[in-house]
Amino acid sequence: MTPMEKVLGPLGPGPGGHWGTPEPIAVQTGGLTKHYGKVTALNDCTITVPEGRISALIGPNGAGKTTLLRLLAGLARPTSGQVIVNGVTPHQAPAFLADIGYLAQEIPLYRRLTAEDHIRAGAHLNPRWDGESVRERLTGLKIPLNRPVGKLSGGQRAQVALALILAKRPRLLLLDEPVAALDPLARKNFLGLLADGVEAGGLTVILSSHLVADLERVSDHLIMLAASRVQLCGDIDDLLAEHRILVGPSKDTTALERGHRVVQATRTPRQTTLLVRLNGPVVDPAFQASEVSLEELVLAYMGEDSPPTLTHLTSVGEEQ
Amino acid sequence: MTWLVWRQHRIQFYVGAALLAAFAIIIATTGVQVAHQYRSAQLACALHEGCRHLGGLFMGSHVVGFMVIATLGAPVLVGLFWGAPLVAAEAEAGTTQFAWMQSVTRKHWLVVKMGWMLVAAAIWGGVISVLVTWWSSPNNAEQLNQFNPGRFDIMDLVPVAYSLFAMALGIAAGALLRRVLPAMAVTLAGFIGVRVLVTLWLRPHYLSAVTVFYKVTSGFTPPGAFWQIAQGVIGPNGQALAQPNGTPYVDGVPITALPGSCAAVANGPSNPSGSCLQALSHYRAYLTYQPADRFWTFQGIETGIFLALAFALIAVTAVVLLGRDA
Repeated sequence: MTPMEKVLGPLGPGPGGHWGTPEPIAVQTGGLTKHYGKVTALNDCTITVPEGRISALIGPNGAGKTTLLRLLAGLARPTSGQVIVNGVTPHQAPAFLADIGYLAQEIPLYRRLTAEDHIRAGAHLNPRWDGESVRERLTGLKIPLNRPVGKLSGGQRAQVALALILAKRPRLLLLDEPVAALDPLARKNFLGLLADGVEAGGLTVILSSHLVADLERVSDHLIMLAASRVQLCGDIDDLLAEHRILVGPSKDTTALERGHRVVQATRTPRQTTLLVRLNGPVVDPAFQASEVSLEELVLAYMGEDSPPTLTHLTSVGEEQ
Repeated sequence: MTWLVWRQHRIQFYVGAALLAAFAIIIATTGVQVAHQYRSAQLACALHEGCRHLGGLFMGSHVVGFMVIATLGAPVLVGLFWGAPLVAAEAEAGTTQFAWMQSVTRKHWLVVKMGWMLVAAAIWGGVISVLVTWWSSPNNAEQLNQFNPGRFDIMDLVPVAYSLFAMALGIAAGALLRRVLPAMAVTLAGFIGVRVLVTLWLRPHYLSAVTVFYKVTSGFTPPGAFWQIAQGVIGPNGQALAQPNGTPYVDGVPITALPGSCAAVANGPSNPSGSCLQALSHYRAYLTYQPADRFWTFQGIETGIFLALAFALIAVTAVVLLGRDA
C-alpha cells in the first residue's frame, strides 16, 4: 500500500464510483490539516473530487474554504496530511502550475496595468495561453482592454480575472467566490461558460460560493465544510439520496437516532422534524420521510437553525 | 518574467534614469569649470611658486559641492523606493497571488525580479560614483583627505556596494514585513544604522593602524593623505598627557608642565630657549594613523563587507519567500 492508500483506503473507485471502471481523480486529500499559529484553519480534511466535476465548496465564513483551495493550489503547505492534485503533490514546478488555475477572492490584478498588459504577461508566463479568448470575451462584455484595471468596476475586474484564468487552459480550476462581484446575468453567463468548459472535457472545477442556488444549477459535486472540518463530500445526487427529512409526532426519537444520524432536529410540542443521514430504510411508520433539497441539506449542516447539533456531528467528516 | 518586471517597474526606471541624467548634466558642466579653475590656479601658482597653498582653494560652487556630498544618501534611495516596495507592494495588493499562479515558480519570479533590481542598484551607485569621483578629482589631488567620510564614502567602489546593500535591505524588509511603509522605515533606519556602525567602529580597524613615536620638537608627518586615528604626547613618567584644553602649550605640552622660559614661545612666535628645549626633550609625541597607500585596500574591504551583507539579505529574502506560505 502506498502512504496515500494507508490514509484513504484502497485507491481506485471512489465512493459512488463504479468498480471496474475507476474514475480518474482530480483532487484527493487525506487527513489534511492546516494550523495558522494556534488557529486550526482546516482539520483532518479527507475529500475526493473525480475529474470532470464541477464541485461546489460550501461552508460558513471561516470554515476553511479558502485554506483548502490554497492548499490545493500549492500556495500554502499542509501542517499534516496529504494532498494529491492531478496525480502529484502540489509543488513549485512550471508543469504543475500550468495545470492549475486559482483565483483568489480578492481578485488579484495589477491595478495600474491594463487588461491587455495582463494578457501579454500571461503569454510570457504560461506554456499554453489563449490570449485571443480573453480579448474576445472582454470585447463582448464591452470591457475596455486598454484601461488600467484599477479603474474598472469590481464586476468588470472580476470578469477580466476570470477570463485570464480560463486563458491559462488549466486542468483544475479553483475559484474562491468568483461570482460574488458579478450581477445575476453575468453570474449565469459565467457559470454557463464553466459548464461548457467541463463539457468539452479535461477540466475540473472547484468553486466556493455562498449562493447555493447558483451552485445548484451547475455543480454535480459538493464539498461541505463547517468548523474547519469536512461535513459532506460527494456527488450531489448521492448525497441527496442519502438524506431525508422526517416529520413525525413529538416523541422520544432515541431509537431512530440509533439507526440514523440526525443532522438537525427541530422540536415543537406537537411535532418533530428531523433531517437525517440514512443508514438503511426508515422503519418507524410514525415518521413521514420526504426528500431534501440541496439548500435544506446545506443549511442543516451549516447548523444555522440549531448550532448545538454540530457538536455531536464531528464524526461525519470521516464518512467517505 | 522580464517583460512583466519591465512593465511593472518601467516608471520607476524612467524616474531613476531622469534623476541620473539631471545629475550627470549638472556634474558634467560644473566639473568642466572646476577642472578649468584648477588648471588656471596651478598655472598662476607655478609663476609665484606658491602651489603649497592650493590645498585651501575651494573649487566649484557651494551648491554643487553640497550636492556631491549629498550623494552620501543616494544609495538608500534605491532601497527605499525600489527595494522596499518590490515584494511588499505586491503582498499588500495581493498580486503575488496573480504572479505565483502563472506557470512560473516563485523561485524564478524572485530571481528575475531581484536580479534586475540589483543590476539597477549597481548601475545607480556606479554612475553616481563615477560622476562624483571625476568631479572631485582636482579637489582630491589637493585636499589630501581621501579617508574623510565625506570623500571616502561617495567615491570609487563603495557607493556601488552601498546601493546593492540598500536594495537588498529594502527587498528583505519588504518580504519580511509585507507592508510598504514599515519596510521603508526599516530600510532607512537599517541603512543609516549599519553605515554609521561600520564607519565609526569597523573602518578604523580594517588593518591595524601604524603608531609612530617622535620627539615633540622634531614633529612628524606621514606621506600622502594618511588617516589620523589618534595623536598625543607622553610625559617624562610615561603617562599620556591630557590634551591641552585652553591652556597655552608648546609642541602639544601645556606650559604649566614646563619651565617659565617656554611661556614666551607659547605666547608668540619666538624660538624656544635652551632650558625650554631641554624640558621638551623629555616629552615624546605619538601619532596613530592609517597610511595613505591603504586607501584602495580600505575601499576593497568596505566593499566586501557591504556585498556580504547584501548577499546575506538576499538569502534571507529567498528563505522567507520560498519557505513561507504564499
